[in-house]
Amino acid sequence: MPRTRLYAVLSAALATVALAAGCGADKAGGDAAGTLALDAPLPTTVPDGAKIVVGDPATEVALKLSGQYDAVSKYVKFANLSGGPQTTEAFRAHALDLGSVAEIPSINATWTGLHVKIVASKFRQDPIGHPIYKLGIAPGASVKTLGDLRGKKIAYSPGQAQGALILKVLKKAGLTKEDVKLVELPSTGDVYSNALSSKQVDVAPIGGVQIKRYLAKYGKDGAATIDHGLRDDAGHLYGPVESLQDPAKAAAIRAYVAAWGIAQEWIDKHPKEWIAGYYVKDQGLSEADGQWLVDNAGHPDIPADWSDAIKRQQDTIDLLAKETGNPVIQAKDLYDLRFQTVAADAIKGGAK
Amino acid sequence: MSATTLPGLRTRSSATPVVRRRRLGPGKPIRFGAAIGPVLLLAIWSIGSATGWIDQRILSAPWTVVTTAGDLIADGRLQSNLWTSAQRALIGLALGIVLGVVLALISGLSRLGEAVLDGPIQIKRAIPSLALLPLLILWLGIGESMKVITILLGVFIPVYIHTHNGLRTIDSRYVELAQTVGLSQWEFIRRVVLPGALPGFLLGLRFAVTGAWLSLVVVEQINSTSGIGYMMELARTYGQTDIIIVGLVVYGALGLLSDGVVRLIQRRALSWRRTLAS
Repeated sequence: MPRTRLYAVLSAALATVALAAGCGADKAGGDAAGTLALDAPLPTTVPDGAKIVVGDPATEVALKLSGQYDAVSKYVKFANLSGGPQTTEAFRAHALDLGSVAEIPSINATWTGLHVKIVASKFRQDPIGHPIYKLGIAPGASVKTLGDLRGKKIAYSPGQAQGALILKVLKKAGLTKEDVKLVELPSTGDVYSNALSSKQVDVAPIGGVQIKRYLAKYGKDGAATIDHGLRDDAGHLYGPVESLQDPAKAAAIRAYVAAWGIAQEWIDKHPKEWIAGYYVKDQGLSEADGQWLVDNAGHPDIPADWSDAIKRQQDTIDLLAKETGNPVIQAKDLYDLRFQTVAADAIKGGAK
Repeated sequence: MSATTLPGLRTRSSATPVVRRRRLGPGKPIRFGAAIGPVLLLAIWSIGSATGWIDQRILSAPWTVVTTAGDLIADGRLQSNLWTSAQRALIGLALGIVLGVVLALISGLSRLGEAVLDGPIQIKRAIPSLALLPLLILWLGIGESMKVITILLGVFIPVYIHTHNGLRTIDSRYVELAQTVGLSQWEFIRRVVLPGALPGFLLGLRFAVTGAWLSLVVVEQINSTSGIGYMMELARTYGQTDIIIVGLVVYGALGLLSDGVVRLIQRRALSWRRTLAS
């Protein structure tokens, strides 16, 4: 049966091509020549040809606006990813070396068997007065203080900063999970403001422009927000341990963290350029929205000492471990202390 | 004076009025008939928004969508995003069509090919692209190749299924004729199989073109810095409902337009068919 054989050969060839296409995709993993121990001193010069993939879209824009971009792009390729779910997925695919996230993803990644380390941390000055999130209250739900949460339907997203915040709020209000109705709902895009406005939940943590939009749209129906009075200001750069064990990548990561520190400082010092270049041009918001975001963010705090941050993260871990049934891990193991002063020193050294 | 007395035919006498025979087909095509449905939809939307029966916050009014689209075009955001999306969709579509046709030929013309290929393709058909995405990211990373392959995987299935079906339903008379006149395998494919499977292929193509646009939303939420899907996702983050609806309208228009193009090709390529539609 020559014809049958022809088709068999053809289909085998097709399958091979498909497989080859699958395997030929570019990876960020790279083949490490030697490995760098996690307690060995960091190399300070970035070797030629070192490349890291970084998911930190806002800093990418800041580097472009402040004229640092060309120096950084020699060893950095930017990916438009941020937030826990997307960055951990990309880490697993060996397609990313650094991601920009809040407090929870590094904990969750560790619990799911992905070994990561935090290499840079940013907080806010006067964090209680400049929270990232507020508790959105649905029209008609009578919640004025944290005590009023008893018996209410609250949007809860396990594995996200918003979910951990709700657990902290309940603890602060002296309530348990049994005293309220937690509605499991992932917080992506505008899901929470929509759930509030359609009264599917009574309370949900909303952040950024969503706060402004929610009040503007539904304020006349009785929508409101209240402050939770807790610190929710942590922002980190973190990456998989395998990237830190590659000497070339570790050097590139160190250089990027320094540039990142200078970029954060630049954002703080140039609000007008930042609003025009990032919020308006890159994100498609109005100037008023951008101004509102800048005012609400206050000023950044990039400490050269992480001990307080580690303490706060340990409290978060203890609370989450209790609520989710995961083992308690040591917060200090999540931080790569070799990077502790890199960003702060770069800022002190002054922007170029 | 009726002389005709064919069995089964009523003789027409001048005494009985003319009885028109009931039409069984749908009749003559309406002019611009294709536009009536969408226009009606637009009218309901406009009237609903104008009377306040549709809440602006839930669904922006058509004129808000138009002005927002105008702003986006003035910015250049809409064009650049549309261009990126179109490139991805077209590359995925082109590759998907080729793959679908080749697989349909292999599986349609050889029993062994069918035994090997058809099962896995039916399995793939049952798996939503959205659910495959995590795996595709693991295998292909987060670059452009992952996006194009996701679109390709969504597109080749309808092309394959309909082409395969069209090919298998070619009248055996033509196959016998081809054998009688001694056509080679390639000639047979070119002169009998491809034209015979064309109606099926074109129907598959109609599913495929809209499918390509649909896959875009899924893939453009991952590591994209441009594209209609990205623009909508960004607008979600900032609660800009009007931009989301602009995106939806663009998708609808693109789907309608590309479907129209395929239908035009259908009418041209299948003009030899005498069917209920013509």
